[in-house]
Amino acid sequence: MAARRAGAGCWQRALSLGLGRRCRLPRGPDSYRSSSSSPALGKTVDNSQVTQEEIVLPRRKTWDKLAVLQTLASTVNRDPTAAHYMFQDDPFLMPRNAANSRLYSLSKESGKNAAKYIIKNFPQYFDKTFAEPNIPCLMPEALTPQTEGMSEEALRERIHLRMVKESVDMFDQLLQAGTPVSLETTNSLLDLLCFYGDGEPTPEKEPEEKEDLEEPGVNASEQKAPKRQFQRGSRSSGPRWRENNHAERIFKIIPERNAHSYCTMIRGMVKVKLFLTAGGFSSAFEISHSQRLFIFVFLQHGAYSKAYDMYIDLLNERHKADVHAFNALIRAVPYLKERFVERWELTKDLLTHMAQQKVQPTLLTFNSVLKSLRRCGGVGRTMSLFVLKEMEALDIEPSLASYEHLLSVHYKGVDAPSSDIISEVLNEVENRNFTAQDPDDANFFTTAMQVCCDLKDIKLAYQLNKALEKGDNWKFLDVDRSNGYWSKFFSLLCMMEQIEVVLKWYKEMSSSLFYPTPKNILDLLQALDAANQLEMIPSVWEDVKQLGFSRRQDLLEEFLSLMSRDQHPSEIQLAFAKCAEEIKAVHEPAGPGQVPLEWTGSALGHVVVLFSRAGRTQDAWNMMEHFQKINRIPTDKVMDEFLNCAKQTNCPDEAIKMVKLAASLGLPLSQRLKSRTEEEFELSETQKKALESIKWDGDSSDSDSDSSDSDRE
Amino acid sequence: MAAAARALRVLPRALRVPSATRQLHSSPVCLKARAARVRAGRGDKAVTYEQAHAPHHIGHRKGWLSLHTGNLCGEAGAAQRAIEDAFLRRFLAGTFPGLLADELVLKRRGNLLVVCALLGRALPPHKLYFLLGYAETLLGNFYKCPVRLELQTVPARVPYKYL
Repeated sequence: MAARRAGAGCWQRALSLGLGRRCRLPRGPDSYRSSSSSPALGKTVDNSQVTQEEIVLPRRKTWDKLAVLQTLASTVNRDPTAAHYMFQDDPFLMPRNAANSRLYSLSKESGKNAAKYIIKNFPQYFDKTFAEPNIPCLMPEALTPQTEGMSEEALRERIHLRMVKESVDMFDQLLQAGTPVSLETTNSLLDLLCFYGDGEPTPEKEPEEKEDLEEPGVNASEQKAPKRQFQRGSRSSGPRWRENNHAERIFKIIPERNAHSYCTMIRGMVKVKLFLTAGGFSSAFEISHSQRLFIFVFLQHGAYSKAYDMYIDLLNERHKADVHAFNALIRAVPYLKERFVERWELTKDLLTHMAQQKVQPTLLTFNSVLKSLRRCGGVGRTMSLFVLKEMEALDIEPSLASYEHLLSVHYKGVDAPSSDIISEVLNEVENRNFTAQDPDDANFFTTAMQVCCDLKDIKLAYQLNKALEKGDNWKFLDVDRSNGYWSKFFSLLCMMEQIEVVLKWYKEMSSSLFYPTPKNILDLLQALDAANQLEMIPSVWEDVKQLGFSRRQDLLEEFLSLMSRDQHPSEIQLAFAKCAEEIKAVHEPAGPGQVPLEWTGSALGHVVVLFSRAGRTQDAWNMMEHFQKINRIPTDKVMDEFLNCAKQTNCPDEAIKMVKLAASLGLPLSQRLKSRTEEEFELSETQKKALESIKWDGDSSDSDSDSSDSDRE
Repeated sequence: MAAAARALRVLPRALRVPSATRQLHSSPVCLKARAARVRAGRGDKAVTYEQAHAPHHIGHRKGWLSLHTGNLCGEAGAAQRAIEDAFLRRFLAGTFPGLLADELVLKRRGNLLVVCALLGRALPPHKLYFLLGYAETLLGNFYKCPVRLELQTVPARVPYKYL
C-alpha cells in the first residue's frame, strides 16, 4: 500500500513540476500534494523559470498486454547452468548432450501427439465448454464435413477442411454429373492442390517425421517465423510434381481459367521443387551444396520449365500474373538457364514484365532476385548491390534474408573476399529490429557466423552476438541452427582468443546454449595445448564422457597423445593415468551389446607411457602384452619409459620380462635394454641367469617384425 | 480374623448373598480420530514427512496440498476444485504408475494449473518426457485451461521416520 502511494505521488510530483499549474491534476482519494502550492493558487506563485508557452499534455500511453512481463524478463540474464526452457529443471531430466536433447524434446512432442490422438478419437469426452470465454484451441477439432451429398457447397467445405483426396473426388463427380462449378471454387481447389503438391496435408504413416517439415498446412508459411524445426539429412521423398497429377489434369479440363488459375499453377510447380531444395540447403552439413543441387536438378528439371511454359501461356491469353507468381518464376530462373549472363537476362526480363503489367514488387520479389543471383557467380556480385539500391529507392526495408543472400553471393567459396560487405551488413543489422518476413531469414545468423569463421575475425563475431541479443532476433535461431551457430563461434574463439576467455565461454555456454561437437573438443584441446595448460585435460575428459563422445577414435588419440607427450608433476600424472585407465576400459568388452574399440599401436603406446609415469607397473605390463595381440611393435620411447617405471618401483622381474618381449620381437633396441637392465637393476642370481639366457640376436620363433606393421615414429 | 470367619460360618445361608453387583458401566462414545494418520507399528514402515504428520498439523507443520481461492469468502467453485483435485490425483497416479514418491501439490494461479509431482527414477528420462507431454496436453484439453507439470525426481522415497 505504501509503495502504491509513493508511486502515485512521484508521478504527480513529476507531472506538476513539468507541466506547470494550468492543468488540473487527476485527484484520487489518496493523492497528496507534493509541492506546497495547489493548482488553484498556483498561478501566482509560479517560479519565474516556467515560461508562458503552451503546455502540451502527452498522450496517454497504452501498454502492450505483455509489457510488464517483457520488462521483467529484460532484467534477468541468461542462466548459464540451465538447459533449454522446454526441459524440466532436474538433474536427472536435464539433457547433457545433443543426442539426449533431441531425444527428450521429441519424446515430449510424441507424448503431445498421443494425447491429440486420443482427443481426436474420443471427442465426446472433451467437448464440454465450461470455460468462460470459450477457448477454441482446447476443444476437439471438428474435422468431418457437415454437408452431405454432391454439391458445390460440399466441395467448398471439403476444400476448407483441407481434405485433398475427397475434394478431388467430389469435383470429378460434379463434373461428370454435369453440375457447373464456379470459377472461384475451381480456383480454390487448384490452390489446395498446388499448395499440398498432390500429397495429403498430414501424412499419417510417415515414420518419425518431424512435425514442422511435414506440415505445410501452415498457410502463412511464407510470413511466419520458423518454429522449432528438426531438419536433418536430405529429404529425397516428399511432394513431387508427378506427370499429369491432379492439379494439371483439372487445369486442363476446366472450361474457363483466369489469371488466378495460371498463377496458382506456376506457384505450385515452382514451390514443390524449391521446398525440397530449401530443406536441403539449410541442413547441408555433410554434403556440399553443389552435390545436392546436382541431384535435385537432375531429378526435377521438368517442373521448372513447365512453370515457365505456363507463364508463356498466361501471357498469350493476355492475363496478368500476380506478384507471387512472379516471385516463384524468378526463383526458378537458375534452373531454366545455364550461363550466368543468361540467368541475369531472364531475371531482368521478368522484372520488366512485372513493370509492364504494373505489378508492384515486394520484399519477397527482391529476395527472390537475390536468391537467383546466388547462382550467377561474378555477375551476381556486381548486380546484388544494384538490387539493394533499387530496394532503397522503392522504400522497401531489406530483411534478414536479403542480407543473407548478399553475404552468400559475396563470400561464396574460399577465394579472398573482394569487399568488406560483412561489416556494413553487421552495422545495419545491429541497429534495426527485425521481424520474420521471409522463410530464409532464419539462415542469416548461421551464414554470417560461417563468414566470420572463414575470415577468422573475432570482433565481427562479437558484433554478431550483440545483434543476436537485440530485441526479438533470438527467435530466428531454432535448436539445431543455434547449436551450429554457437559451435562455430566456439571454434573461432578457440582459434583466436586467449585461453582464459575460451574457458570462460566454455563454462558459460557448454550445457545451456549449445552442446559441444567433437570438433569443438578438438579445438579446445588444441587451445589448451597452445596455452600450455594441459592439466585441464582430465576435466575436459569428464565432459567428453558426459557428452557421449568417449568412443570416438580421433578424440581418444588426441587425448592420449597430448597427455603422454611431456613429463608432468606427479599429481597431474596420476590424474592422467586415471583418464588412461578409463580410455582403456572403452577398448575392453564390457557388458552385453558393447562392442569394444580396437586398439591402435599409438594409443596403446601412449597408455603404457602414462601408466609407467604414474608408477603403475603391473597395469603397464598388461598393456605391453596387448601389443602382440594386435600385431604392433612398441616404440623405443615406450620401452624406455617402462624400464624407468620398473626401476622406480623396483620390479626387476618386469624389466626382465620386457627384455624378453623385446628380444622375441627382434628389436635392435633389445640389446640396449638388456645392458640397461644389467646396469641399473640389482638382480639376484636367478634373474641374472634368466637375463643371460635371453637370445637377443633376432632369431626367435615368434618374431613378427617382418610381417607386422611397425609402429615406430 | 479367625473370630470373624467363625462368625460368618454361623450365619444362616440366606444371608450369604454377595452385596456388590457387577453391572455394565459405559461413558459416551469417544472414537479415536483416524483420518490421515499412520499408526505406530513395529518400526519398519518408512513414512514421509507428509504422511507422518496428522491433519491438525496442517498450517503449523505441514502446508496445503491444493492451493486455490475457492474457499475464500465470497468465492465460488470450491466443490468443483475438490472434484478436479480428486480426478487429477487419480489420473496422475495412473499415468505415472508406481513412480509418485509423494502426494501431488496442485497450485492454481488464475487460469493456470500447476501440478508439482515428485517422481522416482525407475523410468528413463525420455519416457518421463513422453508421459509429461501426454499428461499436459490431455489435461489441458479436458479442463480447458493451461496445465503445467513440474517434475522433480528423487532416487527413492524420502523417509522422515519409521513407524
